[in-house]
Amino acid sequence: MTIDAKDLPRESPSVSMGFPVTVGWTHAAMAINSSLRLGTAVNLTMHVEMHGPLLIDFKNHAFSWSTPLELFPVDAVHTGLETSPTVEDGPPFFELPGEDLDGLLWVMGINSFGGARAYWLPEGERYQLTRWPNLTRHNHTMRQMQMIAVLGNTSATTKELATVVGVEESEAQSLVNALSLMGVLYRSTAEPEMAIVKPTAAAKRKSLFGRLLKRLGR
Amino acid sequence: MAEHVILFTGPMGAGKTTAIQNLSEIEVVSTEANNSERHIVDKATTTVALDYGEITIDGEEKVRLYGIPGQKRFDFMWAILKKRAEGMVLLVNNDAPDPIQEMLNFIDDFRELYDRGGVVVGVSRSDVGTGPSLASYSEALERANPGMVIPVFTVDPRDGDQMQDVLLALIVNIEMRAAFGAMMARSV
Repeated sequence: MTIDAKDLPRESPSVSMGFPVTVGWTHAAMAINSSLRLGTAVNLTMHVEMHGPLLIDFKNHAFSWSTPLELFPVDAVHTGLETSPTVEDGPPFFELPGEDLDGLLWVMGINSFGGARAYWLPEGERYQLTRWPNLTRHNHTMRQMQMIAVLGNTSATTKELATVVGVEESEAQSLVNALSLMGVLYRSTAEPEMAIVKPTAAAKRKSLFGRLLKRLGR
Repeated sequence: MAEHVILFTGPMGAGKTTAIQNLSEIEVVSTEANNSERHIVDKATTTVALDYGEITIDGEEKVRLYGIPGQKRFDFMWAILKKRAEGMVLLVNNDAPDPIQEMLNFIDDFRELYDRGGVVVGVSRSDVGTGPSLASYSEALERANPGMVIPVFTVDPRDGDQMQDVLLALIVNIEMRAAFGAMMARSV
């Protein structure tokens, strides 16, 4: 089956093999989020054109794919998705250990929803980190590292997060989407005890992080 | 000249010396001697006093990197250095018999740094054998100090980029803790 990505509306459904054929990772992220929150053991197979099947074993928090994440196809064409139920003590979906699912969730979350809010996140919430993602294994920017550090020490909306770090809100939202997909965010609507404001120029100059980044050429 | 002292701690053989070698701009000053505890860690030499390396920023500021011996009998040195330290990279071997307890023991010894967000845990040798998952380390830290989120990463101390990530995460977490730490009172 050959599909020209140019002929497909981005993220809009045109049914094939029981799953909307889509370009990009938004529908895939939605399917994975649903499976993760389902609470029952399932395996999942995604058919990604030109990249072979992507197998996910949620129970073992692992995936198997012939495409390395360093070559993650941002505009991949998804042609099908199958879920198969399994049981807690059932055999693994593929030979373990496979790859750590967190790596896939990170890159998928960053590259879905086009910088808009993931559909499972209600408007107006504040976010706080419950666990740092394994940044030595995930491709990341230093701005993402900074935003993660903010969320590790306070709760913030995506707008506040963008303001503190000095990025577009869409960039902050993509990070929040990824962390949420990975299940490492605490969400609340409670107001913070103090206002989160943009750092002053003096505070930026005082930052060892900023100077060290420059020194290390990062 | 402004200076910032960063400690590298952890049990013998976790990669402290290698990590500093990969970060330092000067040749690392290492004091190693024959390992008399080869029944514990099969390594010919081990750090008996200090490793020292540094990174200079704009010629007027130094980040001083100290690797300190992992064996408890050298803890008199820990007391001296931790007074001057801003942060600590704690390296643990994932294939050790009980690496999580080992991590918690070190955290206890460096509680002041931990309480101000000045700790990053680097789990080395995670590709060898079947040690605990990264999430297990984070959960143990969360139980030890609810509401405190400490970065935990898998690391290969031989990988300079990874060690830079670890150092930068430590620094940015200290700065954000200082900026927002007071707001953590609510917590999860």
